Amino acid sequence: MATATRTETSCYHCGDTCGADHVRADDKDFCCPGCRFVYELLDQSGLCDYYDLGDRPQVKAEVAADAPRPELFDLPEVRERLVEYSEGGITRVTFHIPQMHCSSCIWLLENLHRLEPAVLRSRVRFSDKELSITFREEQLALRGLVELLRKIGYGPQLTGEGARGRGTKRGVPRTLYIRLGVAGFCFGNIMLFSFPEYLGADVTSDGSLARGFQFLSLAFSLPVMLFASTDFFRSAWAGLRTRQVNIDQPIALGILALFLRSTFDVLLDIGPGYFDSLAGLVFFLLVGRWYQAYSYQALSFDRALEAFLPLVVLRRKGEGEEPVGVTDLAPGDRIVVRDQELVPVDAILREGEGHIDNSFITGEPMPVHKAPGDTVKAGGRQRGAAIELEVLRVFNDSHLKRLWEEHAGSLTGARPSMPRLIDTVARRFTVGVLLVALGAALYWWGRDAAQVWPVVTAVLIVACPCALALSMPFAYGHTMRLLGRRGLFLRDAEVVERLAHVDTVVFDKTGTLTARESYDLAFEGRPLDAREVMQVRSLARNSAHPLSAEVYRSLQGDLGRVSGVEEESGAGIRGDVEGVPVRLGSAAFCGAPSAHREPGVATVDVAIGGLHRGRFTLRKRVRAGMEKAVGGARGMAATHLLTGDATVDAEVAGLFPEGEVVTGCTPPQKAAFIRSKQGSGARVMMVGDGLNDAGALTQSDVGVTVSESSAALTPASDAIIEAGALGLLPEALRLGRRARRIVFASLGISLLYNVGGLSFAIAGKLTPLVAAILMPLSSVTVVAFVSLGVWLAARPLRSPDRN
Amino acid sequence: MSVIFLLIGASTLVAVVFLTAFLWAVRSGQYEDDRSPAVRILGDRGASNERRTDPKNS
Repeated sequence: MATATRTETSCYHCGDTCGADHVRADDKDFCCPGCRFVYELLDQSGLCDYYDLGDRPQVKAEVAADAPRPELFDLPEVRERLVEYSEGGITRVTFHIPQMHCSSCIWLLENLHRLEPAVLRSRVRFSDKELSITFREEQLALRGLVELLRKIGYGPQLTGEGARGRGTKRGVPRTLYIRLGVAGFCFGNIMLFSFPEYLGADVTSDGSLARGFQFLSLAFSLPVMLFASTDFFRSAWAGLRTRQVNIDQPIALGILALFLRSTFDVLLDIGPGYFDSLAGLVFFLLVGRWYQAYSYQALSFDRALEAFLPLVVLRRKGEGEEPVGVTDLAPGDRIVVRDQELVPVDAILREGEGHIDNSFITGEPMPVHKAPGDTVKAGGRQRGAAIELEVLRVFNDSHLKRLWEEHAGSLTGARPSMPRLIDTVARRFTVGVLLVALGAALYWWGRDAAQVWPVVTAVLIVACPCALALSMPFAYGHTMRLLGRRGLFLRDAEVVERLAHVDTVVFDKTGTLTARESYDLAFEGRPLDAREVMQVRSLARNSAHPLSAEVYRSLQGDLGRVSGVEEESGAGIRGDVEGVPVRLGSAAFCGAPSAHREPGVATVDVAIGGLHRGRFTLRKRVRAGMEKAVGGARGMAATHLLTGDATVDAEVAGLFPEGEVVTGCTPPQKAAFIRSKQGSGARVMMVGDGLNDAGALTQSDVGVTVSESSAALTPASDAIIEAGALGLLPEALRLGRRARRIVFASLGISLLYNVGGLSFAIAGKLTPLVAAILMPLSSVTVVAFVSLGVWLAARPLRSPDRN
Repeated sequence: MSVIFLLIGASTLVAVVFLTAFLWAVRSGQYEDDRSPAVRILGDRGASNERRTDPKNS
């Protein structure tokens, strides 16, 4: 083995472990010259507070591979997208910068004016990861601004949505805050007016005062009825029209009963009414709604394909190049794709040497070599020098677009529906309440007909499932937040419930079980000595080929002087290191007999001084923590493996001793596998990545996308898990099940309250005071119970050791 | 005792002022980003920090 132990020094700027490019300056360690440069830039401008704000910023000074090139920002259509206004040389733009993630990021981005005097003001909207900059455009072009941002590691993204075309926002809508505020305001005031009642009616000797308070309460309840609670009525009505029972129907019934009964009582001077309970009820319900909206993650789970592709590509025009929109490309056009850029359409390679990395589509990161004349499918990422391609098909006919549409088509209806617990409960509950109300009405009809109206309204009031409606948003909301803190982001609360039902977990291999860019490097042959390591490493550094780059990264040691470097396409690289000729590349290139090739293992041969010296093997590594993840899941569910590869090595197969291991799967076959499992009654969770898993992810009951960076493709899935958090998966399954049990228990508690209240109501003794105590008490108990329950259930998640 | 209604009117008016303030705060977007303002205040340490003397670059 040639992997040397690494010294654990972390970079002062980005916090990464310092590797091959380790530099020191100012008594601080940096992992690369880029990070040192940013540090010096910040230091000169007195911006080193960046490092003192508590969290480590950890934004590397390298530009994200898919950040668009600055020259694109010179284009009028791109400018048009970003610029909010431009008048008298002062321009305001809004960029989307997904890299920002901590206090230091915000601080640095808001202090851009200290780095660049042309910037007048910069403001971050962290929840949207947006940065608005007002700057003097005559001093600094838009492109210059983008270059500045790139330099400090915050290269803006140019996604399909621009500053203006922002779609619907998730999170808490403003009107909900306003409704909440209005309901709280009325609730507080009505409660004050009800105080004399609470303390006993004869506190006020003056009868007119009590009457006045009643009418004031009525007045304050109007905004609650007409504004704050309209959502519940709307949802209940929508359910009625589609003949579906939902939880908002008994709630709307309760609210209506409260209001009518109270108004009736006040107008006829029968009693003070239940206005305090009414306002309190609406307020608590809105708090539940707010929490539900608040738990949504600020992640986009449904991105359009266009958001992942470059908007604009460079088209060859005579001797020069011109930028052109992806959708405007026509067959026969020549386009130029540079290092780390995506090929946007199916095309034929015409010039240059293609190293196409298809991880975007398949999850397989090992680049495929393409020679001029070969076809390159859309979605591949070029690694290495720029290539020129001839467009084969227009964007809408490309392979990528078809895969995407297949996936989008599978979205509609294919997935078996799972009844929501809340709806099931609501149905039974509503029927039960109506039966009780009817029974009470019949009972009193025979004895005292005047009591029918008060008793029936009292039943409807007290049976209002406020606690019921609160338990689920809080239980599932807490679960989502706890999981989100550890790197598993769920789409919405419903996913928690689906999680609880999962009894089968299906894993994808490439990109999921195995890491994207992580190899086990081994050397076959007599181990290299220090001088030879130096020679190999020095030469490998000069190659753009990813395998050479991996060899360079994995070896440790000094670098020597290299001259006469020549890279031969598809073969290898040769050069003189300190005067000794060294070759790295294919077996034939290094003068060795070609060896038997194992699937999934890449080789780099080495020749030094004209003699074959040995061979590096690069084996894709199973992610750290995967044994724990798969093993843990096996304890709770059946586990299976799907892979597009022809064979699976023993290490991976060993993780699935009982489950099925299916090799050679095409994307539709993956989805079909899930469907057949569902057909036999299983609730399936699919863990995958890449577009080739998209169909299976949507078909499954819970589709989990593994994400290594925010820019990676996340097709419409139910959950996104950070690669580092995969070990958490069994714990998440367990927590989902526990959360469901907690909700069940809380339903029991709230039913107890309802039964207690009903006994008051049927006996005709539900005074406003009893209602005013019972309603908030039951809600608070239930919310406290589920919060505490989930918090305790998630204890294993909070323990510091993650793996 | 009817003077109490005057007091109620006055106190309600004050409450309405607060409600209006809340509505203004929501409308101006203060509830949409609760992270960056918290950081903004940390950075405002004033001019003393504006330019650190740096022997290497002066």
